[in-house]
Amino acid sequence: MATLEKVDVVIVGAGASGSLFASVLAKAGKKVVLLESGPDWQMSDLISSDFWGRRVKPAGIPFLLEGKNPYGYAYQAGWGVGGAALHYFANFPRYLPNDFKVKSEHNRGLDWPVSYADLAPYYDKVAQEIGVSGDAKAEEIWRPKGEPYPMPPMKTFRNGQVWLKGLESAGIRMVPAAVGMNSTEFKGRPACLYDGWCHVGCPIGALANPVVTYLADARKAGAEVRALSTVTRVLTNDAGNKVTGVEYYDARREKQVQEARVVILAAWSAQNPRLMMISATDKHPKGLANSSGLLGKYMMAHYASGTWALFDEDVEPHMGTIGAQYMSYDRYDKTSKKGAFGSTYIVAGTALKTSDLGGFANARIDLFGQPLADFMQRAKRGITRLTAFGEEMPNVENRIELADGKDEFGMPLARIVHSFDQDAVALWNANFEEGLAIAKATGAKEFWSARGNQPTIHLFGGTIMGSGAGDSVTDSYGQTHEIPNLWVAGPGLFPTEGASNPTYTIFAVSQRGAEQLVSKWGTVAG
Amino acid sequence: MSEIERRALMKGAALSALAFSVGGAQVLLSPRQAHAQNIPYRTLSPEQVEILEALGETLVPGAAAAGISHFVDQQLSIPPEEALLEARILNIRSPYANFYRAALGAIDRASYANNDNRAFAKISANERRDFVDQMRQNKVAGWQGPPGPFVYLVMRSDAVDVVYGTMDGYAALGVPYMAHIEPVKRW
Repeated sequence: MATLEKVDVVIVGAGASGSLFASVLAKAGKKVVLLESGPDWQMSDLISSDFWGRRVKPAGIPFLLEGKNPYGYAYQAGWGVGGAALHYFANFPRYLPNDFKVKSEHNRGLDWPVSYADLAPYYDKVAQEIGVSGDAKAEEIWRPKGEPYPMPPMKTFRNGQVWLKGLESAGIRMVPAAVGMNSTEFKGRPACLYDGWCHVGCPIGALANPVVTYLADARKAGAEVRALSTVTRVLTNDAGNKVTGVEYYDARREKQVQEARVVILAAWSAQNPRLMMISATDKHPKGLANSSGLLGKYMMAHYASGTWALFDEDVEPHMGTIGAQYMSYDRYDKTSKKGAFGSTYIVAGTALKTSDLGGFANARIDLFGQPLADFMQRAKRGITRLTAFGEEMPNVENRIELADGKDEFGMPLARIVHSFDQDAVALWNANFEEGLAIAKATGAKEFWSARGNQPTIHLFGGTIMGSGAGDSVTDSYGQTHEIPNLWVAGPGLFPTEGASNPTYTIFAVSQRGAEQLVSKWGTVAG
Repeated sequence: MSEIERRALMKGAALSALAFSVGGAQVLLSPRQAHAQNIPYRTLSPEQVEILEALGETLVPGAAAAGISHFVDQQLSIPPEEALLEARILNIRSPYANFYRAALGAIDRASYANNDNRAFAKISANERRDFVDQMRQNKVAGWQGPPGPFVYLVMRSDAVDVVYGTMDGYAALGVPYMAHIEPVKRW
């Protein structure tokens, strides 16, 4: 085992939040090393195929998935540079002011230690930095005024447009979806081709994945990425009040120690708490920064109520992007659905491929044999989908904890225990009902709900932010309450999850955290 | 730069492909080609191949000729981090061969038990259809193995992959593929 020369910052994970932190810190002159467990993907690796696209997702996850609604880990996780944001849908809705004070306003869930107003400048900054297409003015029917997006909205297609009549009849206003994609050329990156392969990775750079945005900037500023490097432990000093670096296995499977003045864990909501638990010491017997006992707690997931519709006309299902064409917050009040609780975020218009979990062959999962073949013929020109995403409240029983068994590096496995509560189930059902009413009003030839097991989408919590060590793991910047030079980044910080896609908020929170780290460097770095 | 020019620019990148063994040499073939050339299997037994082909054809017409058994067999023979199977994103623990052996074994055992001591590959097409319909609803009497609906999902996904998920599959269905970077072998 070798001990490598001390650097300013070691970042565990080269996904969305890790890449942003690396960019900001490297530009500030810090010597930054990113340790990424997966490959160093190149744009030429991103083959337009649902088969080949599976390579950018993990194989053989170190988690046991338990509870009434086990978490669907691998489909959404990343493996390699870019992380999950290498294959994300790049929907960039913001959270709304009501997401940050659920406890205060409803005596449910938790409050964030920051408000929408605190994050708003960072939303605007991220948009200018990596490129967002949309109509900010149109969004102001739901949120405070902000800066315009740097690019106009994306093109729309009939597979999105056909929903508008039905949505209007339900009193749901739709505006152009904000997406992290280029409707026009942006900073040397080309405009989107609308070929619908975003979910397997966009190789032309029209989609703002971290490899072409923050990670590229970080590398230009001198940050080093070590791929196929798996961190197995965060190291602390004898007093337990500072981290000193990390232990990891490199691409040759040799054990290394990378010393660093600051450690940032950006390995996604599940891996961060697992690593902090594995790194327990006599000074931190329950895991690093866990005097609250809340490390690994309050895991949350979104769920979707999808409505399929078949039209007689050719709606060009294959055209567009995987991201949405239209979005609405008109059901975003936490109490908008009677008998349920939580926000709903609605999107319409998405490109559909044939296979994989999101393909239209799964629109009728009950069909097989000749009926499936007949359905595929009917669907290839006329099928489209409306999706309503729902919010679940944080529940301390939804958790990550270490389990028996070891992974290939000898690290303990962990389990993710997750169950939706009755409010989430009720909201899921209510959104199906409304989806059918909307579809009926469109005049579609056939329509039906995409019912199955309640899905788990995105992953939040486990290292939540709060006001102090008694109620949370980190502060609003991601700095752990108990170890000043140990930081956490990503959606694991979120005390509540809202209902809209999280990556824009992940970037905004990370931008704010990274700037804070730079400004406080002298008092933070070990 | 026009859209067509940009697409052309992105083609031709160095890609990997499915490698099959032919006479001790490695050749790159699509599963359909491997099936047509009767390439030897690496992982699955002849009985397992029979079940998988019969099941695949029941799930998606054309799956056998499209090479479902060669696709799955080749994929089970490579490291999991290289795998392209949908099993990868359905959180099945590697090695994936364990799941496939358990699932195919469960199907055949249940077929023997419920179809006058006949293997799944030997029952009629109508009987297979009824069996699969029961399996997807978790209603097969005496089922012992991974949950039937999950077996249905995984195997149906493999069959859909080889029939509808390839460039040839898109062409046959009449859906424009529109690749940025094309898979090799139109696969």
